[in-house]
Amino acid sequence: MASRLRRDPIDWPKHRAAVFFVLPALVIYCLFVVYPLATSLFGSFFEWRGLRMRGFAGLDNFARLFVDPSWPRLSGAFLHNVFWFCGIMVLQNALGLIFAYLLFLRSRGTAFLQSVFFFPAVLSPVIVGALWRLLLTPDGVVETVLHNLGLIQGRLTILGNSSWALWVLVAVDAWNWMGLPVLIFTAGLRQIQGEVFEAARLDGAGAGRILWSIALPQLIPAISSLTTLTFINTFNQFDLVYVMQGVQGNPSYSTDTLVTYFYRLAFGAEGAVGITDIGLALALGTLLFLLLTVVTIMLLRFFEKRTVRLS
Amino acid sequence: MTNLDIALHVKRLPGWMVLALWTLVVALPLYILIVSCFKSTAEIYGDKFGLPTQWTLDNFVNAWTKAQFARYMVNSFLVTGGAVALTIIVSAMAAFPLSRYPLGWSSPLLAFFLAGVMLPIRLASVEMFTLMKHLDLLDSRLGLVFVYTAIRIPFAVFILANFMRVLPRELEEAARLDGAKEWRILVSIIVPTIRPAIAIVAIFTAIAVWNDFFFPLIFIFDDAYKTVPLAITTFVGQFRTDWGMVFASLAISMMPVLVMYLLLARQIREGVGATGGLK
Repeated sequence: MASRLRRDPIDWPKHRAAVFFVLPALVIYCLFVVYPLATSLFGSFFEWRGLRMRGFAGLDNFARLFVDPSWPRLSGAFLHNVFWFCGIMVLQNALGLIFAYLLFLRSRGTAFLQSVFFFPAVLSPVIVGALWRLLLTPDGVVETVLHNLGLIQGRLTILGNSSWALWVLVAVDAWNWMGLPVLIFTAGLRQIQGEVFEAARLDGAGAGRILWSIALPQLIPAISSLTTLTFINTFNQFDLVYVMQGVQGNPSYSTDTLVTYFYRLAFGAEGAVGITDIGLALALGTLLFLLLTVVTIMLLRFFEKRTVRLS
Repeated sequence: MTNLDIALHVKRLPGWMVLALWTLVVALPLYILIVSCFKSTAEIYGDKFGLPTQWTLDNFVNAWTKAQFARYMVNSFLVTGGAVALTIIVSAMAAFPLSRYPLGWSSPLLAFFLAGVMLPIRLASVEMFTLMKHLDLLDSRLGLVFVYTAIRIPFAVFILANFMRVLPRELEEAARLDGAKEWRILVSIIVPTIRPAIAIVAIFTAIAVWNDFFFPLIFIFDDAYKTVPLAITTFVGQFRTDWGMVFASLAISMMPVLVMYLLLARQIREGVGATGGLK
């Protein structure tokens, strides 16, 4: 008893060795990630001229975000991100759950189909965006398919149409990442005990009913990580917009997102070409950082409470 | 086959059709991409779905020479290879004491690393640009290697530490009694036993770095140091009329990932199912 209470003497060589091992990763991580992030947050409270920091500005930069000319851009971009998140939740994650369940019910061909479904996810969004941009041009492949199915007439110009372009980007994003919910949900379904399904089936429950009442409550950890990932990814969306619609979120800012707006402010493509507004960019960055952190923690807490514990 | 079996198969038909439909949605664009590479631009417009009437490699030759794709491929390989190697080395080193020494300060430090998995690092790009300028790492492949390594360290440390933690203690105690140095224990005992984890980290890091174009967009201006995804974004505008070449350049740039995927599809599937993350 006494020996257990006695604290071990501090093993200094071990601590020294540990510091030596940890140092390279710690230095690289702090220098290139933590330090720039911290100075970005700090800098959002200062006035900027070009890349030079001037006097303390308090909340001026933040206030400027919420008035003209920034407010229409900010609110528009925010709404597009919210739309994007909801679109991916339905088009990618809900549909992915159905695909995963259909695969789970079958014994043959599942590994192959999982691999096919996941393949676009290993491609760069740049490749995916460029490919779909070519397919979706007027007189392109998609137009021909829709013509032959009798769904449209005339030219297909949805990428240039401000009420449709955002839908198209969300659909392309879902095409790109559909494999992710499929893999995560099939992994989750396989962890549920077989007897649970067996019992429900013997009680005469149909496949849809089993998915809704038996599987879904037990998939909450999977739903939790997918929702969080989707939130983080959609609010960081930049690549697809840049490649397919340009950094302005064409046509007429209808596909603009918070990060494309941030990029224009920071690297000078907003308003007169070449003019940057670092103060405004950093303030937007700080807000976005807070939004992402707070909502991510809230999402994880929310799902944590609802996780069904099997003990 | 009994009647019941047949009934079961009929019942499953709609499900199979749904799965087949999505397979088609995934495969058709990729099929168009591949056949278009071998067609002249006139034929890409004319007969969109058929196989090329005359198979030609002109598009690849053009992409490789006229658009200098060889150079971008070399840059991408150097940056990806460097980032993967550096990430694994420093992360394995850091994960070793943090998961296996009784230190007292390992959990807060692990949490500090782990926080980086979710940090929206793009929002720090202004300050990163200033930093890279001061360090003279703009227009530099080495600069990209450092940035990617820093971004991938949290995920790598997390995975490697989780694998190292569950290894039995006897594994290293015997070697330690024989007087082996700590780095020897890491290199010749720990690392070989967690090879699957290192493979997962290598695969995911390679894919993420190979595909990224945000940081080259910010840090690379000289054409000589551009990576493939950055080059493609300029291509799509620049050679808008030469569809054949654009398709060919897309095909070339996805080739390394495709080869890796064909070889490692199972590891990638299981890794994503278990860890949930590529991005």
